[in-house]
Amino acid sequence: MSLRELKMVIGGPQGAGLETILQVLTTALAHNGYGVLSGREYHSNIIGRHSYVLIRVSSYEIPRSLTYPVEVLAAIDPETVFTHYNDLAAGGFLIYDIGGEDIHVGKIVSMGRHLRERIEEELSREGVEPIIKELVNYLESKGVKTLGLNYREIVSELREKYGVPPAKLVRYTSSIVVGAIAGLIGLDAESIHVGFSYKFAGKEKLVEPNVYIAMRVAEIVRKLYGAPLALEESRLPYTEYMIVSGNDVVAMGKIVGGVRFQSYYPITPAQDESFFLENYERLVVDGEQLASIVVLQTEDEIAAITTAIGASLAGARAATATSGPGFDLMVEGLSWAGINEVPVVITYYQRGGPSTGLPTRGGQSDLFAAVFSGHGEFPRIVVASGDHLEAFHDAVEAFNLAERYQLPVIHLLDKFLANSVVTIPVPSTHDMTIDRGKMISHVENPFEYKRFSLDGPVSRRAPLGHAVMWYTGNEHDEYGHITEDPVLRIEMYTKRMKKIELADREIPEEQRAQLYGSDDPEILLVGWGSVKGVAIDVVEMLEKKGIRVGYLHIHYMSPFPRRRVSELIDKIGLENIIAVEHSYEAQISKLIAMHTGKMIRKEIVKFTGRPIYMHELATAVSRILDGRDKVVLNYGA
Amino acid sequence: MAHKPEYYRTDLWVDWCPGCGNYGILTALTQAIAELGLDPVKTVVVSGIGCSGKTPHYIRVSGVHTLHGRAIPFATGIKLANPSLTVIVEGGDGDLLGIGAGHFVALGRRNIDLTVIMHNNQVYGLTKGQASPTLPRDMRTKSLLKPNIQDMLNPLVLAIASGYTFVARAFALDVKHLKEIIKQAIMHKGASFIDVLQPCVTYNDVYTVQFYRKAIYRLDDESNWDPIVRDPSEEYEKKMKAIAKAQEWGASIPVGVFYHNPLVPSFEERLQGRLRYYIENPPARQSITVNGGAPLIDDRRMRKLFSKKIVPVRSRRPSD
Repeated sequence: MSLRELKMVIGGPQGAGLETILQVLTTALAHNGYGVLSGREYHSNIIGRHSYVLIRVSSYEIPRSLTYPVEVLAAIDPETVFTHYNDLAAGGFLIYDIGGEDIHVGKIVSMGRHLRERIEEELSREGVEPIIKELVNYLESKGVKTLGLNYREIVSELREKYGVPPAKLVRYTSSIVVGAIAGLIGLDAESIHVGFSYKFAGKEKLVEPNVYIAMRVAEIVRKLYGAPLALEESRLPYTEYMIVSGNDVVAMGKIVGGVRFQSYYPITPAQDESFFLENYERLVVDGEQLASIVVLQTEDEIAAITTAIGASLAGARAATATSGPGFDLMVEGLSWAGINEVPVVITYYQRGGPSTGLPTRGGQSDLFAAVFSGHGEFPRIVVASGDHLEAFHDAVEAFNLAERYQLPVIHLLDKFLANSVVTIPVPSTHDMTIDRGKMISHVENPFEYKRFSLDGPVSRRAPLGHAVMWYTGNEHDEYGHITEDPVLRIEMYTKRMKKIELADREIPEEQRAQLYGSDDPEILLVGWGSVKGVAIDVVEMLEKKGIRVGYLHIHYMSPFPRRRVSELIDKIGLENIIAVEHSYEAQISKLIAMHTGKMIRKEIVKFTGRPIYMHELATAVSRILDGRDKVVLNYGA
Repeated sequence: MAHKPEYYRTDLWVDWCPGCGNYGILTALTQAIAELGLDPVKTVVVSGIGCSGKTPHYIRVSGVHTLHGRAIPFATGIKLANPSLTVIVEGGDGDLLGIGAGHFVALGRRNIDLTVIMHNNQVYGLTKGQASPTLPRDMRTKSLLKPNIQDMLNPLVLAIASGYTFVARAFALDVKHLKEIIKQAIMHKGASFIDVLQPCVTYNDVYTVQFYRKAIYRLDDESNWDPIVRDPSEEYEKKMKAIAKAQEWGASIPVGVFYHNPLVPSFEERLQGRLRYYIENPPARQSITVNGGAPLIDDRRMRKLFSKKIVPVRSRRPSD
């Protein structure tokens, strides 16, 4: 019998090659047609703290969410075994290093005291001594199949065979894990070769020894077990996949959207996007340089937003990328862009706050920050992406909206999306247009140009260098000169505020809020951002049980799709609606109440910084159906 | 075609206090722009907040009146997006060296072709005379409740240490000299800084016009003063001399060019080295569409660009 889908946790110390394992396996699996989604969890640390990837592979769909328990737990170190043993399904496989069999949980100082004590307590309740050997025996008694390998012995073969110096042998541990998993799933040598070739493109010398180790281990596993976790042949229709993280797709969307200036100050989890762009600073296709992107690492986030605004004033499509603490610093620039009607895109990756709260974990608690921050009133568009493909399209659209309405656009994402890697069909630019709005390059009389002409909410916009114009953070007249005249103040203020009304009329509400699942639901989940995938999965799961469920995905926070949301709430009834969010407050329900006067009272929230997993959301929904008003989720290491 | 300075003035009422040193700076800057014959459309004056922040509105070239301390990063974005523009930064001492100090330093490190004119009156004028970073310790101007408890920052030394490649000082009311310095600074291809001693007639009763008239002397008058780095080997020595000279304060205050190094590549040149057509085809001037609205990076180009991210699915086994 073969499996339709498979989940795996692979863990080890930060810096031990998890990224390699993930890339090689994802590539190898994609090469065989499977859909793959993986999430990455790590500490705010460079080397040594526990880090892991949770991978879901499917032969019948591209996975939308992550879930437990897993069929495979692959441990690079003893800490991983202790941290994740509970994540294993009965009948699952544990891959571990027998070199660490005698390690006691109390000795693993990288682990953190709270977790060590918790695990010790848990195991003592089961009468298990917290030593790897004992834990392995215990798991076996529970039906887990264990696969102990001597990691050091295996990699030492490379000394003679390929002349790898002893100090570098440890780097090949990742190939042991790749091989063990390949063996369990039945991935062949060609797939593994493709995986390593993509990973080490340009460093071909590394491919052979890695493939050697992986296939050697795969063979050991095959002899012991066969290929017990072999996946069904893929039924997915794709002939190719793009393998991307959220950071990657946003950067790609920006490139397609015509970004020409990106400024940033390093901050997790945003920085990889700017790295990606810098890698493509020269857009060369078939030997022809089509364009170039200036990527500027600034001295701080204040400079990041203000240089982007400056570049936009000069006529370039300009953007910056940050997360919560950085966005806080950008807010004065945001207000300036607001009063000066500057098209600028701020890509905002939320993480666990407040302050540096959980700097490398996810969250959605910055919804209010994105929608309301800034002093004074000014219109902005806030778009929140729910998955990788949406993020790609939104990244392009963010520039179009910014230029069409001449205002700042906040593209709201989160760490879950930024750091999760997925196989997607190659997105198409086919239906995309680049809309530069009322941008003009020729001004009849450059000395009489009115940048802020009052003939409508959106004025003709000439870049600096095409006419004489003024900008100021003060209230201003049509030329951009300071004014404190009360009549002009009303006109100019109203002109600006009308933009959001215009956007509200022009951007279809179906684009701003999408309904998934039943179109006549008894129960409605409401959420946004990364809740999308897991909510849709749970909706499908419950529908199979005969419950008509829907998921309302709020895609635009501003202009808020209030008519559509209001109508749906009326139709379904407030008592049948559940807000789902990565926060304490379920901020979305308050935003909905603000726009519709209808307050959702039932909520499922999670603020551990870990994603909402399908299994826990499904359980939480049934608890709400049983009469609970609020469920706080907590699964995940 | 050359124009008279009046051509570059707007007809707005200038709302500085009567006798303010800013008038001298405005006049000198306008004259410098006129004498260089700058195209008003291709010239941008970027300012921060405060009295100096209003300068752009009085000059008929494009003006960007920004946030407190942020004129430099705004100007950086403008210049890097379109290096064919002449971009001049106006800021106060509090603006550039207090709230904006990080940006001030960053500009030196990048050596972008910007000209920074600092209106240095040692006080925060528009908020009624608080001490700025250039006011010496224990000094008490008439608006201060207590003597200044913080040390002064030496703007010239900071500029040199940060990497500015043209560093000068002038007196706001010596318009002719200031104008010449501004012209040199604009002509210099790199980050230029001019510390303009600008009396605040309302709040600063220490550093008055009379005080400066007595203390100031010209570096040009020193027969052996040569601030220009003509060979990289001279850089260290010229910097050290400029820093030493910049320490003079009080009874005798030097004005003129302290340091001028045309040999350091500008940031635009550094970018040109990486991006090839950057100067001829900078970000602001590139077309981002084809066929009137489709993205320049279409499907075919996107696939080529991101080919490393695309994995083909192998064909199914024959048994299927």
